[in-house]
Amino acid sequence: MRINSKLLLAVAVMPLLFTATAKAELNVFACEAEYASLAKTLAPSADIYSATTAMQDPHQVQARPSLIAKMRQADLVVCAGADLEIGWLPMLQMKASNPKVKSTDEGLFFAADQVETLDKLASVERSMGDVHAKGNPHLHLDPERMLTIAQALSAKMIELDPQNSSEYQQSLADFSQRWQAKIPQWQEQAKGLAGKKVIAYHSSFRYLFNWAGIEQVADLEPKPGLAPTSSHLASLLTRAEQGDVMAVIVASYQDERGAKWLGERANLPVLMLPMSVGGNDQSKDLFSLYDSLFALLNGVK
Amino acid sequence: MSALNTRVSLLALACAFSSYSVMAEDSSLTNPNISAVLDGYYQTGDRPLAEREEGFGLGETELALSANIDDNFYGKITTVIESADGETELNLEEAFIQTLALPSGLSARAGRFLSDIGYLNNQHKHTDSFTERPAAYRAFLGNHYYDDGIRLSYVAPTDLYWTMGVEAFSGDSLRAADEHGDRDFDDVGVFTALTKIGGDIGVESSWQLGLSYLRNENGLAYAEEHEDEEEEVADEHEHSHSASYTGENTYIADFVYKWAPNGNYKYQNLTLSGEYFRVTDIFGEEPGHIDDGLDDHEISDDDYHEGWYLSSVYQFSPSCIRRCALWRSGYL
Repeated sequence: MRINSKLLLAVAVMPLLFTATAKAELNVFACEAEYASLAKTLAPSADIYSATTAMQDPHQVQARPSLIAKMRQADLVVCAGADLEIGWLPMLQMKASNPKVKSTDEGLFFAADQVETLDKLASVERSMGDVHAKGNPHLHLDPERMLTIAQALSAKMIELDPQNSSEYQQSLADFSQRWQAKIPQWQEQAKGLAGKKVIAYHSSFRYLFNWAGIEQVADLEPKPGLAPTSSHLASLLTRAEQGDVMAVIVASYQDERGAKWLGERANLPVLMLPMSVGGNDQSKDLFSLYDSLFALLNGVK
Repeated sequence: MSALNTRVSLLALACAFSSYSVMAEDSSLTNPNISAVLDGYYQTGDRPLAEREEGFGLGETELALSANIDDNFYGKITTVIESADGETELNLEEAFIQTLALPSGLSARAGRFLSDIGYLNNQHKHTDSFTERPAAYRAFLGNHYYDDGIRLSYVAPTDLYWTMGVEAFSGDSLRAADEHGDRDFDDVGVFTALTKIGGDIGVESSWQLGLSYLRNENGLAYAEEHEDEEEEVADEHEHSHSASYTGENTYIADFVYKWAPNGNYKYQNLTLSGEYFRVTDIFGEEPGHIDDGLDDHEISDDDYHEGWYLSSVYQFSPSCIRRCALWRSGYL
């Protein structure tokens, strides 16, 4: 049995002999697809990995082996923050043993730290459901906030990889110019939506609605994080019968059943909106994601 | 010999399973993460070597505190309150610090903590899908193995997840039976070496394979006590955190496969897992034992214990879990 233990030791030591090959490019781990897309725009030659897709609820992600392996190699981790990834990010950080990305002083970047969040709470109790004291973390659907986040992310990239700072500055300038040119178009498209009322699932589109002036009059979830119950749906039906609601809205990673039930009975259209890049066929980057969101919302008759 | 082979049909309900936690991404000593878990249950029937009894009962009540002590260290304390046989026990299950800033994928942990061997062992019991740990865990590791010691881990910088670890523990709870109380046990009795690899298959599936080896210097039962020891184990019903079956070498192979539609775990997901345990070198001769040729039993190198389980859990929203398991433990 001595041989066995020696063998195991040999196996354990072997990989220490391989040192990681030095990489010229920045290795970026994004918690959500929207930040992977933003990072790609700001650092076209970086190696970028997204931990989740637009079809996955970022509140509930498994700290699975592949994510640990990716975070182990990352120079920069980009996440929404405001405790959105509280259930899995700290565990990944611990398991990945990568000191480069453990703190925001170094290679960790939270979008929510760069802008004001909406709906901050002075106190949080478990009975309120799955709420975030630091405010709503789904902040990538506000064009102005996204621009501020892009500037801060670009600065972080330059801080981590100063040799390529001119490339990052150029990419940011390109992005800012294109983005600022788009904002008036989206404002135009949002005009017809201002003042409209919707029933939606969770507060996923809080920032988009806020920016476009849409009012979410009810939530399919009885409490944040809880699935729709039949009694709650019944109360939503009563609300919908007032006749002022434009549509029932769910995000690409949310269950449609409750919304469909309500839509059929209240005779309301049900819209599935892409939550992020890749949430539908049209959303290939942040620009086309916003285009698709406004096209879908304006398509409601 | 077949105490554990009895198939008992059981109905176990772990209801009123509630947890409360306050967490922050930036925990600190003045703002630690706090979690409490209460676990009440009702169960018909009894399982061998089980911690839970028939009827209504309270499982483990757990209170945990954890925080980043500074940029370089993380600390955690978990206390567990258990009532069994009419007595209430307070156990310190975890009290450790872990490094956060070692370079090159290395990390070290010291104090009292759950060993990383196998798949289930490093997970807290309240996160289990089943009310009891598989029989192999109950028999060989005393439900779950936590101990005082140190660990060194390494994560390779590869796209395929690959981690390795070595641990050293006092090993008190895994000592072989010592009926006369005169045995001279090693103070650092348990050493482990383990490795895990894992990855994704497309967007929807992920997997992990693990191999662990546990060397227990105090695991050998002395042949003289051979017969007595077995009698004692078979009669043992009292509440215990110690392993009931020990040996010098334990090998564990484990696998996990997880699936969720689109990789979205919110509404539905499936977990398949299984582990195989083999415990060898169970009986030995006491040092200084003189073979007088009169022993009527022979010590065989082929003696071993083995146990395995397979489990599948299908979870679908809103919060329903369908689960089935195949528990087995042979040669016990």
